[in-house]
Amino acid sequence: MSTIRSALGAHASRVQRTGRTLPFNEERHLIAHQWLVDEAWLLDAQAYEEWLDLLTDDIHYLMPVRVTTALGAGYDTSPGMAHFDEDKYSLSRRVARFLTEHAWTEDPPSRLRHHLSNVRTFAADDPDHLVVESATLLFRNRGDVREGALVSAGREDLLRLTPDGWKLARRTIMADDAVIRMQNLAIFL
Amino acid sequence: MTDQSGVLADVRRGMIPAHIYNDRELFELEKERVFGRSWVFVAHESEIPNPGDYVVRRVLQDSFIVTRDEEGVIRAHFNMCLHRGMQVCRAEMGNASHFRCPYHGWSYRNDGRLVGLPFHGEAYGGEAGFKRKGKRLLSAPNLAAYNGLIFISMDQDAEPLEDFLGDFRFYLDYYTRQSASGIELRGPQRWRVKANWKIGAENFAGDMYHTPHTHASVVEIGLFREPKAAKRKDGCTYWAGSGGGTTYKLPTGDLDERLRYVGYPQEMVDRMKQTLSEDQLRVVGDDGFMISAATIYPNLSFVHNWPKVADTDQVLPFISIRQWQPISEDETEVLSWFAVDAEAPEEFKALSYKAYLMCFGSTGMFEQDDVENWVSLTNTAAGSMARRLLLNSRMGLLEDGTEVVPPLMREQFHGPGVAHVGYGEYGQRALLSHWADHMERPARSAPRVDASMAGCIPVVAARS
Repeated sequence: MSTIRSALGAHASRVQRTGRTLPFNEERHLIAHQWLVDEAWLLDAQAYEEWLDLLTDDIHYLMPVRVTTALGAGYDTSPGMAHFDEDKYSLSRRVARFLTEHAWTEDPPSRLRHHLSNVRTFAADDPDHLVVESATLLFRNRGDVREGALVSAGREDLLRLTPDGWKLARRTIMADDAVIRMQNLAIFL
Repeated sequence: MTDQSGVLADVRRGMIPAHIYNDRELFELEKERVFGRSWVFVAHESEIPNPGDYVVRRVLQDSFIVTRDEEGVIRAHFNMCLHRGMQVCRAEMGNASHFRCPYHGWSYRNDGRLVGLPFHGEAYGGEAGFKRKGKRLLSAPNLAAYNGLIFISMDQDAEPLEDFLGDFRFYLDYYTRQSASGIELRGPQRWRVKANWKIGAENFAGDMYHTPHTHASVVEIGLFREPKAAKRKDGCTYWAGSGGGTTYKLPTGDLDERLRYVGYPQEMVDRMKQTLSEDQLRVVGDDGFMISAATIYPNLSFVHNWPKVADTDQVLPFISIRQWQPISEDETEVLSWFAVDAEAPEEFKALSYKAYLMCFGSTGMFEQDDVENWVSLTNTAAGSMARRLLLNSRMGLLEDGTEVVPPLMREQFHGPGVAHVGYGEYGQRALLSHWADHMERPARSAPRVDASMAGCIPVVAARS
């Protein structure tokens, strides 16, 4: 995942994973896993101000556009295009918008459930960081006419230990759809 | 077949039978009469810059490989093997000198010619049984390009693309020819919305009226320098040839000041002054209007806007090209590209892309609320009550048909077509009038091509 090029990720932390998956009973894995479960709860509840506080000021939040390419093409993301390619400012505007009374796409709000699994934690080349992989399946349902919509994605996160606890410094979201089957991505993954 | 003449007559007077936004029978007619003859956008030349580059795009259900062959000629091949009909290309982009069918191994060069046919001698008796020589994948019935935008028409006898676009070309240049090098595209983002394809096309063709309300939140969070969305009514809408759109009124200033006001650096302003015509520059510099959203009939839209991309007063302009690809009467695949002048400074390209992502596309803060409206409208248009309701799309007209405000005079607006200041539904009515004109005319039946003859029909290549 770290080979994905982003047009706006120049500011992102370069810290990378080292070694094999940490054992599931190792404390660093437990910390990372709990962090992700707690975060999923905030995203389900659309508690976006609290969520924003969990992101470092140099956050890079990237969701490339996946493309169908021939085996051996060497790439499966759209060159130079993403769904999200965000820094703290752009994420803060998105959150601020949901807090207005005029973000119609979430009024009435969607019913959201982020199902989280396949959590694997790695030590990083800096002791104050952990790299965490996970799978997320978002179910989103609106109103009473249309069936719910799903987005399935793999994620690679960089968590950083700060004086205020662990925070998210980098996230890459690899959706499993080339054509998103949801009316918009007015959600976070 | 139901007689639709009453529906079309209502549409022409600006009273829209609500069910046209979710009607299977009308959709079947649209397939034949709208998409069977219009010029439909498929790709931009910058998406396939090198020999062998290809993208696979659809016109409704028809899959085309849009490719640049080894001689640099742009072609569009129907993505179906001449033998048993398998798709010869199942990726959506890439680079290939040949396409080989995975079923029985027939292979075609990227110029479409059939070059490989396993066991030709043993199975067919060689050329005596099946003449391989001269066979090629079916070409799109008609293919042409303008400013690098590649269009297909399913009508072999379609009028030339430039005639079809007509005077809208004047406005198209603002989006696609800010320098001699033209634009480069990134993307598209693709996603499906449960909305009828016409709604987005109409919205971009002239709906300035929705901006202050639908997009109130984007203004409230300080994304724009202008704090009042109601300023939108000071802009004008226009219709020319096959398309129309909206503009913003710019503050006083000369041409350079006005282009810099929306965030173009001076070097880009200088290039625009060399590339755009005197009248194109006068619309901005003298008349004070800056193009924003637009639609080319039937389903290609454009947007140009200039939000803040950081916590400063600086704004950055972006351009998006988007297509409302119909899936059914109640579902549309949106393809949304980011476009930028190829000669723009790299830093400008990056920040313009950021502006695009924040505003439009699958995650865009404008687009999110638009789609919510359009899905809801489509839902409600399916029932029997929607067949009783005529929606009022007569904004800008009095009951007797006279206009609320007169069109702008030539000295007030130097662009072709007809333009009006303020809120109105002139563009939406013009778009749906085109639609009605097509809907009442049966399409010519297309000639059939038998595989043993394929290659005998004229091969069309886009001029680049």
